[in-house]
Amino acid sequence: MAPGSESPGTDDPPVEAVGLRTHPLTAVVQGALWAVAASAGLIGSILTGDGWGDLGPLISLAGALVGGLLLGMLLGYVSWRFTRYVIDGAELRIGSGVITKSSRRIPYERIQSVDIAEPLVARLFGLAELRIEMAGGKDSRTSLRFLRLSDARDLRRVLLSRAHGEEVATGEDEHRTLITRVPPERVMIGTVLSLDFLLAAVGSVVLVALAIWFGQVVVALGGIIPLGSWLAQIIALRVLQQWDFTLSRGERGLRIERGLLSRTSQTIPFNRVQGIAVKEPFVWRRLGWQRLEVDIAGYAAQGDDQGDNSSSTLLPIADPALAAAVIAELIPHASTRDLVLTRAPRRSWPFAPVGWRYRWIAADEITFVAHEGWIERTTSIVPHSKTQSVELRQGPLQRRRRVATVEVHTPKGPVDADGRHLDERAARDALLAQLARARASRA
Amino acid sequence: MDNLFAPVDGTWQGVSPRLATVRRILIVSLAAGVALVGLVLALVPGLAAWIQVSGWVLVAASVAGGGWGWRWARRNQRSWGYTENADDLLVTRGVMFKRLVAIPYGRMQFVDVQAGPLERAFGIATVTLHTASPETAAQVPGLDAAEATRLRNRLTELGEAHGAGL
Repeated sequence: MAPGSESPGTDDPPVEAVGLRTHPLTAVVQGALWAVAASAGLIGSILTGDGWGDLGPLISLAGALVGGLLLGMLLGYVSWRFTRYVIDGAELRIGSGVITKSSRRIPYERIQSVDIAEPLVARLFGLAELRIEMAGGKDSRTSLRFLRLSDARDLRRVLLSRAHGEEVATGEDEHRTLITRVPPERVMIGTVLSLDFLLAAVGSVVLVALAIWFGQVVVALGGIIPLGSWLAQIIALRVLQQWDFTLSRGERGLRIERGLLSRTSQTIPFNRVQGIAVKEPFVWRRLGWQRLEVDIAGYAAQGDDQGDNSSSTLLPIADPALAAAVIAELIPHASTRDLVLTRAPRRSWPFAPVGWRYRWIAADEITFVAHEGWIERTTSIVPHSKTQSVELRQGPLQRRRRVATVEVHTPKGPVDADGRHLDERAARDALLAQLARARASRA
Repeated sequence: MDNLFAPVDGTWQGVSPRLATVRRILIVSLAAGVALVGLVLALVPGLAAWIQVSGWVLVAASVAGGGWGWRWARRNQRSWGYTENADDLLVTRGVMFKRLVAIPYGRMQFVDVQAGPLERAFGIATVTLHTASPETAAQVPGLDAAEATRLRNRLTELGEAHGAGL
């Protein structure tokens, strides 16, 4: 059942026929995850005042824990029994399902990225989940849960080397060089200095103060709970998940390792980057800090289990020099300086009274760059070779102002390379030029 | 500025006028349905006065909406156009809100041809070209069935020839 202990090549017919299993402890982990989910739901309903009928909160909590654990373990065991995976010369096949059998084939060359996630519970058992991303809409992610961490790493190495058309890699992990490690305190300071955190924190404090002042705790509770959960969500997303954020470079791509409770290890292959967004929030800009986000086909198609897309973070906080170095790693020779900018004209102000000053687009031989944003500045960088399509749009109001919008389409994700409300001739010229550049880059 | 949405080279190929017919049938039947409800409300005796008034309002609105839709269907059908360049497919549409989308053939992931029962009765179909980006809105409705098949085959062929992966 350990994939690393057997040869993952094609020269092993029994393996081919029978397939490999995930780790047997999967059932236990699955059960624990269910129990956590069940009791988390219950804690929420206890806090808002309604429990489970006449049962006391503690008893129902215990019931949820045990029930969730048993049910999850049972289902986890059954699905584990019926899940097998096969690695052969051309594809990875995963068969699963008890009643409805399903078999999924993953051709290696279609793999966009391979990530390893260690949810807290699985981490306690030394297990990890392997996530294989392919391009496409929903359901483009394939998970193998759970494998022993070392096996997951082996499998990832095999898949990534096959995805690049190479034969099975050598036994040891490839050589990696550290690019940067973002210290947790820096992430925390960055979070504290972001506007939405400040808003949520100040809002909570004001509400608590008002509640005490007027002595109406119950009324204020209605406002404090959503604000507090928003605050908790911000902290979970920006601090806990980005804890000990480590970015390193390997032969085939960048590797991200992050997380305090649940660890995640992502691989971003060099040639699979669809676009990069440089975000400069209001307060950060004054301190010279930036955040980098990246478009990988398949990443944003489904939110994470927590309903976020923190996996698209390339660098949670960095100074411009480091950010530029990381961009250069992923899109070599892309320059964000010395560009000829096509700015939004002054007459476009009715569409964005303040923001029009900050809108521009530009392009060099490698990338298309679009910039916008007043409170949070966003610079989107899309390589010409990844341009999916280009669109020119004009509504009636825009026509009166002789402006038009040009958009360079990328796969779903944080990068939106739009040049909105530009001069109409300039927008059309940008569209034509972008088509020519995209054509040249594919040739 | 008229030539803002002109094709890069060549001319726009229009879509079949039967698209307008199909849409008019849909619009008129919807408007007729709403008007019928309005009439019932307005004429059934014993209902409150405000219900009768709103019934008449409904009738008026559906007539006005139907009339507007009748004109819209023709104008919109005329605004559609597509052209196959050497490297890209260009699609334009819209009268008030104009759009021009250009999709390099090599970026195409797959092509759909769709035709509902009413469209089939009038012998037209919709061809949709999908890329890896959900923003790409490259559909051409109201194509002759034969032209739709030809366009699909041609696009698939070109997509394979220009295929550039992701």
